[in-house]
Amino acid sequence: MKKLSRNPDLVWRDEPEEREVILNALMSGDESAADKGWVIIIDKGSMHQLNLLAGEIWLLLDGTLDEAGVANDLVERYDAPFEEIIEDVREFIAECDEKGWLA
Amino acid sequence: MKLSAPLTVNWTLSYACNFSCRHCYSRDIEKEELALEENLKVVDALSQARIAFVNFGGGEPLLYRHLFEVTEHATKKGLKVTMNSNGWLIDEEAASNCAKAGFRSVGISIDGADAPTHDGFRDRPGSYDRAHLALKNLCAAGVPTTVSTVIFKGNVTRYKEIVSQAADSGAGTVYLHNFKCSGRGMENREELDLSPSEWRDFYEDALAWRDDAPCALAFDDPVIALLGEESAAAVKGSTCGKLSLHLEPDGDATPCGFIPLSLGNILTDGLKKIWNDSDVLNQMRNKEATGKCVGCSVYGECLGGCTARALATTGSFNAPDPHCWKE
Repeated sequence: MKKLSRNPDLVWRDEPEEREVILNALMSGDESAADKGWVIIIDKGSMHQLNLLAGEIWLLLDGTLDEAGVANDLVERYDAPFEEIIEDVREFIAECDEKGWLA
Repeated sequence: MKLSAPLTVNWTLSYACNFSCRHCYSRDIEKEELALEENLKVVDALSQARIAFVNFGGGEPLLYRHLFEVTEHATKKGLKVTMNSNGWLIDEEAASNCAKAGFRSVGISIDGADAPTHDGFRDRPGSYDRAHLALKNLCAAGVPTTVSTVIFKGNVTRYKEIVSQAADSGAGTVYLHNFKCSGRGMENREELDLSPSEWRDFYEDALAWRDDAPCALAFDDPVIALLGEESAAAVKGSTCGKLSLHLEPDGDATPCGFIPLSLGNILTDGLKKIWNDSDVLNQMRNKEATGKCVGCSVYGECLGGCTARALATTGSFNAPDPHCWKE
């Protein structure tokens, strides 16, 4: 399978402190926190925010992993079923591809 | 989302200028300039804070003699560097130097569809022709260009011609800027600024035309939210102090160029402290509705509009934007 890389021309920044805030909120039972942004992408003059899972996937797109590799990494870290995670990964990757966010 | 640092730093390396524009916010400001070595340290601090964009303004950036050295250092550090210039000094050689230094794009100010309008507003005969020549020189050198147009009474009826001419000269985007009431902009406000209803009419017309315009149009006015326009910045209200910060030639930080309130110095106080601990920024990020904003159905979208304009005209961050047309 194809290794996945971010478009190097895209400007983005992750906010680790915001990620911690989201994780702490989730630990406290606030499930809506998973929708909050912690990675910013600037594309064509517009600013996009990625939520917890999308942001985690985005940071893994460094050219070393394919879709299954990304999903496996998240399965280990979040103790979630592979079948669920791979669907989310595929969906987000398709969205990134459509927007030109991948190399 | 609270950012750990600004995404954009608007950096005035020098307030020196070869023009004397009628709306200029900074023409009468004097500040010591940092030495080159200190400005390179500022770049290092911006890089360390993971600032994405640096935009040189002024003053005229090309009058700062180390502009290209600072730019090269910044681009090597991964910062995306742009500049706003009046274009007067951008001949073929300067355009080539812009390309070599790594400018991501260069913006040229053009405020009229003809020479008398632009040259009168900028108080510099020949500046209209030189501005369009600068665009062409930059294009020839391979530097992407934009045009910045301040909308005022003298050009509002012909802004589409300005956009078309800019596109013909190679500009990819025209920024249709709102009028700021700072510095000379405040002194000449009665003569230059549009009324609230005129602003509404302009924005309605420009938004309707946007898809047919010969190049991209960009707007930076929070009051545009009154027309249901979503902010490209994904934050409500002014972006100053939320996504961006302004640096003065001596390293002092202000929320934006139009708000002359020092928040601290980047070299002595550090960016993190300024960004996280400033009472001024805290007030700007947590505005409270006052006056006609209280109970307004769209306050949640515009957050009172442009904070700089409200502060300049009333002395309060929380006052309604004087450009707001809602009753």
